[in-house]
Amino acid sequence: MINLRDKGAEIWERANRPQRVLMAISFIAMAAALPFLGGTFLNTPIADYQSVLVYPIAMFVLMAIGLNIVIGKSGLLDLGYVAFFAIGAYTMGLLGTRTSLNTWEILPIGIAMAMFSGIILGVPALKLRGDYLAIITLGFGEIIRIVALNLEVLGRSGGIIGIPTPPPIFGIEYAFDSHRIYYWTLLIIILFAIWMVRRLSVRRAGRAWESIRQDEDAAELMGVPTFKYKVWAFVLGASVGGAAGVFYASKTLFIAPDNFTLQISILILACVVFGGMGNIWGVIAGAVILGYLPDRIRFLSDARLLVFGLVLVIMMNLRPDGLLPRKKREKALPNKDSNKDKS
Amino acid sequence: MSTSILSLKNVTMRFGGVTALNDVTFDVKEKEILGLIGPNGAGKTTVFNVITGVYQITSGSIEFQGKSLAGEKRYKITRSGIARTFQNIRLWGDMTALENVMTATDTHKRSGLVGGLFGSPISRKEEKRDKKRAQELLDFIGIGEYADRLARNLPYGVQRRLEIARALGTEPKLILLDEPAAGFNPAEKVELAKVIRKIRDAGYTILLIEHDMSLVMKVSDRVVVLDFGQKIADNTPQKVQDDPRVIEAYLGVPEDAS
Amino acid sequence: MIGNFLDQFWSLTFGGLSLGFIYILIALGYTMVYGVLRMINFANSEVFMVATFATIIIVRDVYNFTQTSEYATGFRLWLILGTALLASMVVAGVLSVLIEIVAYRRLRRMNSGILAPLISAIGVSMVLAEAVRMMTDSRPVASPRAMEKSFIGKFFDADIRLDNTIIIFAAVILLTLLLAFVNKTRLGKAIRAVSMNGNAAKLMGINIDGVVSITFLVGGLMTGAAGFFYVLKYENTSFSIGFELGIAAFTAAILGGIGNIKGAFYGGLALGLLETYASFFLGTQWKAVTVFVVLVLILYTKPNGLFGEAMTQTRA
Ligand SMILES: Nc1ncnc2c1ncn2[C@@H]1O[C@H](COP(=O)(O)OP(=O)(O)O)[C@@H](O)[C@H]1O
Ligand SMILES: [Mg+2]
Repeated sequence: MINLRDKGAEIWERANRPQRVLMAISFIAMAAALPFLGGTFLNTPIADYQSVLVYPIAMFVLMAIGLNIVIGKSGLLDLGYVAFFAIGAYTMGLLGTRTSLNTWEILPIGIAMAMFSGIILGVPALKLRGDYLAIITLGFGEIIRIVALNLEVLGRSGGIIGIPTPPPIFGIEYAFDSHRIYYWTLLIIILFAIWMVRRLSVRRAGRAWESIRQDEDAAELMGVPTFKYKVWAFVLGASVGGAAGVFYASKTLFIAPDNFTLQISILILACVVFGGMGNIWGVIAGAVILGYLPDRIRFLSDARLLVFGLVLVIMMNLRPDGLLPRKKREKALPNKDSNKDKS
Repeated sequence: MSTSILSLKNVTMRFGGVTALNDVTFDVKEKEILGLIGPNGAGKTTVFNVITGVYQITSGSIEFQGKSLAGEKRYKITRSGIARTFQNIRLWGDMTALENVMTATDTHKRSGLVGGLFGSPISRKEEKRDKKRAQELLDFIGIGEYADRLARNLPYGVQRRLEIARALGTEPKLILLDEPAAGFNPAEKVELAKVIRKIRDAGYTILLIEHDMSLVMKVSDRVVVLDFGQKIADNTPQKVQDDPRVIEAYLGVPEDAS
Repeated sequence: MIGNFLDQFWSLTFGGLSLGFIYILIALGYTMVYGVLRMINFANSEVFMVATFATIIIVRDVYNFTQTSEYATGFRLWLILGTALLASMVVAGVLSVLIEIVAYRRLRRMNSGILAPLISAIGVSMVLAEAVRMMTDSRPVASPRAMEKSFIGKFFDADIRLDNTIIIFAAVILLTLLLAFVNKTRLGKAIRAVSMNGNAAKLMGINIDGVVSITFLVGGLMTGAAGFFYVLKYENTSFSIGFELGIAAFTAAILGGIGNIKGAFYGGLALGLLETYASFFLGTQWKAVTVFVVLVLILYTKPNGLFGEAMTQTRA
């Protein structure tokens, strides 16, 4: 089967620096131009195209990139990813309505809160075998929701209303319905997350995660401090989830425990699995497709979770590497004798 | 006289009812090649597992360069200077040969995650240095040309040797080789014997598990024999070969035809 | 508060015990599969959920009970309860076997590690839960009451309820049968052989796929019985019941030590009682949290449970 990811990587590796810059810029420009692509054809039955771009698409992409660090890069099955999203969102909700801090000031606080809970949960949980980690994180996700449901300060089932929008930056206003502005802001956060993941992947941390995912015992015996790197992966994933949560709350202006169910964790997991665990472009493609299609196709919108469940079963059994699998191919070797490998 | 780098004293390892090692005592001396032999199931791999911290011994003590390894974390044992290969190859198949070795050389980096993220000068310099070092090791073992191939696509013999290169990547003083010639043909075995001597000549100490008698006897300075978890001989290759207890231990078990 | 607790101690205890037996039966669905495959059978919770619906369908649609029907008595009552129990068990057993074939078997053959079957199982759970949600319009479904919940006696001051009594007795009978099956029959011995050492069992010529199917069948039968007992006790169900009870039963399995039947027994009883007492003091909304805290505490402090194997241990 042809491997798009490898084709892309090959083109990228063969390009020189100016060509790469050009490619990156045109990619970003294309992503930024998406809101203008518009037209009513792309509207979904419940929302118009531009708002769909913000939620679910861009939001899913961001969270999928975060979860991918945990599950795709280092092979840790986190079923409670929604917890970090919720922690970010409630941090925004609480501080936004009760203090004079604005969204940009709360963003780092929300990220820090998510990372902190990542450590609290991760340090003990990451000592356990992989499938127990899955159950513990699953429980954690539910606990956060139940706590929100039962604590007065968090508004119980009513949640928190009247969360402020972000204040203008450089004179750009964040009106409730200026979807484009929200989209571009999210795009910047997403680009930052991509940069972070790519940067880490090619260096020491990336190799450590990769070795842990493939054979953790061998990694430890080769001197990799596996536990430390697992905690790092978990906490970095949490930070992205937290950032997404802060921004989500500041966009919807209203949050409630119902927004943070187990299903969200599974949705994001499905995006990662569908696109191709471990490969950031696959994960992005997965999130775009699974974020958009079930909403667009009317008869699917009630059955979207069912579709996601099917996606998980089918992908795992038939194409466990996803749409765009992680690296399969060996590096392009432009300046070496290319006939050598023909044996 | 050369000093001992690793010493096992009265080491016993039990798994439930099975006693895999029973009161085993021996030393590994600096810069020697010590052969560790015995019939299948004698407890050889278990010796490697208790040294590298995979299992905690039931009783006894293990000291490396005068320091007890009891309760030490596995990666710290490796970092203190003990590296191993695996009897059943355990490379990271989705990484290239070079990356496999680099993951091991990373062990001695100073730069961490944050440095890597922002491309700090230390991190960049170390990355370059390690890449060079990893390539050197691959060349040293004689598989340099495979650097950019994925480990799982490599021929079997190359994978076995890559395991050795990866272990060397951790900059060990003592290297534990678990049946490095398993599945090799005679020509490959001769080749491997050369590599093992070359490693020793480069200043490493080697503890070698091997089934092929002629190979062990040829390269080892000394041989320890295990049978049913007990040490039954510890002597020069020549003396071990003539030891009646060793002959008896091996007579019951048909030679592995490999 | 404490005074109230002492007043109600025995009635809470009876309720807790019958809940405990429900947990035991579901926990068996996790523990037996874990014993044989070393894998968390994540979809077992939805097998339970489907079984609760099977019970309701039998009582409501086959025997045409409505909320206002007269209670059944005598032979007819036992016939209804018997068919409902049997139907739930069979539905759950068959479903469980099917899930193994569809979602796990291929991955097991590919030797795909821990993650892939788990994700596949999550997918199956999602599909089952969502399919039922859509069929029930996301609403809980009440079961008509076929049996009068009479009090059949007193123990100290506590009334002994008929449904709790039936659950405890029937569950004990089922567990006895299960133990006899595992210890006495050839198939049961094959299951134990595979649990102890899969490779050796394979070498001895045991058909692993067959044993795995039987294990899922037996685990499913027990889980199905739990579905029936649950409806008998609580008289309603919903598409999301699997998640709630599933994680509690899984906790019970871990508490006793996952992978062995004795562990499921003690773990289930302990958790049933603990949860019932804790709900009395804290309120039922914190029930899930209590269970989770128990789970976390065991995993962190005594990961082998009371009787189980080590879970953090790795091999090299
Ligand atoms: N993790 C374990 N659990 C139970 N028994 C083990 C374990 N590891 C090794 N053993 C037993 O210890 C004995 C020695 O095994 P091993 O060291 O692998 O032998 P070999 O000399 O062939 O390398 C064998 O009987 C084996 O079954
Ligand atoms: Mg061995």
